[in-house]
Amino acid sequence: MTVWLHIVAIVLLASLGGALWRVWRGPSPADRMMAAQLVGTGGVAVLVVLAALQDWTLLVVALALALLAALAAVGFVKAESPDGAGDPEETDPPEDWRTNSQKVPQDG
Amino acid sequence: MSAALDLALCALILGVGLASMAGRGVFRAAIFFITYGLLVAIGWARLGAYDVALAEAAIGSGLTGVLLLAAHGRLRRLRAAAESLSRFNLPAAIAGGGVALSFGWAWFALPVPRAPDLTYALPQAGVGNPVTAVLLNFRAWDTLVESIVLLAALIGVWMMARDADWDAPLGLRYHARPSGVLASFGRILPPVGLIFGVYLVWAGAESTGGAFQGGTVLAAVGLVAMMAGIMRPPRVAQGAWRAALVLGPVVFLGSGLAGAALGAGFLTLPEALAKPAILTIEAALTVSIAVTLALLVLGPPDEGGQQA
Repeated sequence: MTVWLHIVAIVLLASLGGALWRVWRGPSPADRMMAAQLVGTGGVAVLVVLAALQDWTLLVVALALALLAALAAVGFVKAESPDGAGDPEETDPPEDWRTNSQKVPQDG
Repeated sequence: MSAALDLALCALILGVGLASMAGRGVFRAAIFFITYGLLVAIGWARLGAYDVALAEAAIGSGLTGVLLLAAHGRLRRLRAAAESLSRFNLPAAIAGGGVALSFGWAWFALPVPRAPDLTYALPQAGVGNPVTAVLLNFRAWDTLVESIVLLAALIGVWMMARDADWDAPLGLRYHARPSGVLASFGRILPPVGLIFGVYLVWAGAESTGGAFQGGTVLAAVGLVAMMAGIMRPPRVAQGAWRAALVLGPVVFLGSGLAGAALGAGFLTLPEALAKPAILTIEAALTVSIAVTLALLVLGPPDEGGQQA
C-alpha cells in the first residue's frame, strides 16, 4: 500500500511539472495564473496522499492550501482590472476580448 | 521509493526557484514565487514540520501571492514593469550564491544540533503541541517582540501615505458587480475561513495549528470580503481597529507582568495557570495578527491610487 501511495505522489508531482511548464510558456497572464491554480490543486492532492502516508494532521495543511489558493486568483483578477480594484464582470466584454487577451505582452 | 519522492520534490523546488529568477517578466517571476511557496510547504510537510508547512502554505503562497500580484498590477499601471528585471544583476547573484554556498558549507561542516529534550518540560507547559509550548511559554520573549515587529511594519507602511489621504479608507477602492462571481465568492469563502481560522487557533494548543496560522487564514478571508466589496476597508483613525492591532501585544505584555507580580518572573507562566493563560494570549494575538496582516496587504490609505 505504501509503495502505491508513493507512486501516486510521484505521479502527482510529475503532473505539477506539466502545469509548471505552462507557467513558464504562458503566453498570456491568465494562462500562467490558471496553471498556478492547477499547481495549487495538485499540491493539495500531494498533501492528501502524504497525509495517508505520514500523518493525518497533514489534512489541515491541505485544507489551508485549498482555502488560500483561491486568494491568488482573486488578487490576479483585481490586479488585471484597469484601476486595480475592479471586476471583469462589471463591464460588458469588448468585441475583441478573445483576441485581446492574446495581445498582452509576455511581461504582462 | 520514498527517496524517489523526495528527489522529485527537490527537483521541482530547485527548478521553480531557478525559473522564478531566470528569464524576463515580473509577472512570471511572481507566479513562480507563489508556486515555490506551495512546493516548499510540501517539503516541510515531508520533513514532518507540520506547523511550518501550515505557516508556509498560508503566508508563502496565500498572502504573499496577493501582495506580489497587487504590486505587479500597480507597476503595470505606472508603466514601470517593463524596465525592471531586464538585465542580469551580478551583485545580487553573487550575494545570493554566497548565502546558498555558506548554508551548504554549514550543513556539512557544523555538527548536527541536538533538539532540546522537552520530555520533562512539556507536561509543565500547559499545552501538548511542543511548537506552541516553545512559542508562548519557553521562548515567550521572542514571540512578544515578533508581535511588536509586525505592528512596526504596519506603521512603516502607513508612513507611505500622503497627508491628504490620511482620513481615507486603507488601500484601493475595491468594487465588484453586486451579484457577480466575485461578490458571491466573497460571501461564501469568509464563513468557511472564519471557522477554519478559529479551529486552527484552538487546535494549535494540542496539535498542528497556532495563532499565527489561524490569524493568517482570518486575514486572508477578510481580504477576500474586502476585495469583493462586501466589507468596507477600515480607516487609520478608527479606534476599534487600532485597539484590535495592539490587543495581542498588550495582553501578552500584561500576562508577562502578571507573571512577574505573582513571583514567577517576567513572561514566566505558573504551571497551574499556563493553559488558560496561553489560550487567552493566543486568542488576543490571533485578533492582532489577523488585523495587522490584512491591513499590511491592503496598504496605506491611497485616494489617488486609481489615477496612478
